[in-house]
Amino acid sequence: MKKQLIAGALCCALNGTAYGADLRINGFASIVAGSASDDNMAVFGYEDEVSFSNESMFAIQVSSDLGDGLSATAQIVSRGRDDYDAKFEWAYVSYDINDSLRISAGKMRLPLFRYSDFIEVGYAYRWIRPPQSVYNFAFSTPTGLSLLHNTQIGDWDSTAQAVYGRFEGDFIAVTGQDRGKLNDILGFNWTMTRDWLTLRASYVMAETTISLDNSAQLTGLANALQQFGIQDEYNKLLINEDDGTFIGVGFAIDYNNFLLDGEYTEIEVDNSLLAEQSQYYISVGYRLNDWTVHLTYESNDDEHPTSRFNQVPETITAANGEQIRVSTDSTNPNAPLIKDAMNNALRTAHNDTNTVSVGARYDFHPSAALKVEWSRLDNDLSNQDNDVIAVAIDLVF
Amino acid sequence: MKKYFVAGTLLAVSAAIQAEVAVIINPSNNTALDKEAIAKIYLGKMKSFSNGTKVNAVGLSSGDSVGKFTANVVGKSSSQYKAYWSKLIFTGKGTPPEALGSEQAVIDFVAANADAIGYVDSAKVTDSVKVVGKF
Repeated sequence: MKKQLIAGALCCALNGTAYGADLRINGFASIVAGSASDDNMAVFGYEDEVSFSNESMFAIQVSSDLGDGLSATAQIVSRGRDDYDAKFEWAYVSYDINDSLRISAGKMRLPLFRYSDFIEVGYAYRWIRPPQSVYNFAFSTPTGLSLLHNTQIGDWDSTAQAVYGRFEGDFIAVTGQDRGKLNDILGFNWTMTRDWLTLRASYVMAETTISLDNSAQLTGLANALQQFGIQDEYNKLLINEDDGTFIGVGFAIDYNNFLLDGEYTEIEVDNSLLAEQSQYYISVGYRLNDWTVHLTYESNDDEHPTSRFNQVPETITAANGEQIRVSTDSTNPNAPLIKDAMNNALRTAHNDTNTVSVGARYDFHPSAALKVEWSRLDNDLSNQDNDVIAVAIDLVF
Repeated sequence: MKKYFVAGTLLAVSAAIQAEVAVIINPSNNTALDKEAIAKIYLGKMKSFSNGTKVNAVGLSSGDSVGKFTANVVGKSSSQYKAYWSKLIFTGKGTPPEALGSEQAVIDFVAANADAIGYVDSAKVTDSVKVVGKF
């Protein structure tokens, strides 16, 4: 197999113009240098010293056209933040049922957001990174099936996609690295484009499980709830086979070099520790020959409804009629209440940030763009802010 | 001598101004194509000619004709055209027209393949291909 791949690569290299060359090699890369101004909180993975590896990455895609509409594709991505360990990010087989319908099976990115599919292809958009308030859950690549339908509806180009799959891996949800899985992922998204206007809607649901094991506090809280037999609140703390839903709507305008984009998304995992999340961004840009300048405002708000608080009782009645205080130590009348610990866990899930970014892109080469971007993230809960400045070169080849 | 030189320069200038990009198909192909249809082919939105034959489109990897074609026919700069395709390539949604190394290679390819379409500098067109439009 490997020999064939090399032979194929040689054939194309030597005879690149030949009709029917069946192996295509493409790639993209981003070299990004950035730094935060303060060390009060990490922003986009930056702290207050210059990093070249945090957002830099390199990817190679090999696709083989097997004829009659069948093709196989693999994309290998190496990211600076993972010490450039190369990983198969996409690996799938596609079949064109007809001119407008394509079915794919394998490992593919979950198409939540408008830029999800090509989130790492920096050359394809104007920012150094798509607005992170919205794109904070964008990296999952489940294994499954995708059905893609392209057609023309009057003057509109329509792209509709349905996906089904499963994902098991690490989530940034509780502590920053938590094992979890999404079962029975079912998603649908529809994009309509007419001339200078693009509209998109996306809906995804999945049975969501994320482990609390990496947090000693939450594990302790869960054990306590179970010991006191407060099963309902125990279930509402765990993220265990809970119904997760994602809703996203977006638009993009590209009119006479004037650009306007926005997306609004909501994520909810019912009856779990995860707060209801809503986030949006709005971005304006202007293109002048090889330059694009842009300004973006983004906001993220994660919060549990008040009805979730104060649900753990302060005392319970034992079988012998005795009142037992629901605390970390029932023999100590001053021990902290489990109710307060639960409220605290729910409160910690509260997150309220907004970010402003200003940047420029310069297409200095047919296959490369230079970008400069300044962002300020404001955390409205801690009343802290931090700035990030980054310079990037994005390439496609 | 000097006069010839001046005349020659003028000719060169006018040729540069008038140099258009010609969209070419195989002489055996009788389908009519307007600018909008050509743009759709090069954006991967139209995959067959009106007679039902699959389109086999080729482009150029570099040169003045690339920018002229993307700007005049597709309505995008060559960077925007590349960004558009990079969204599709790396997400399994499409494969761009193969980029050939020279205008002669495009002409040879179109002359040899009944289902082919390509574009070259209009001054380089030969009898072996049919021009469907100049832009």
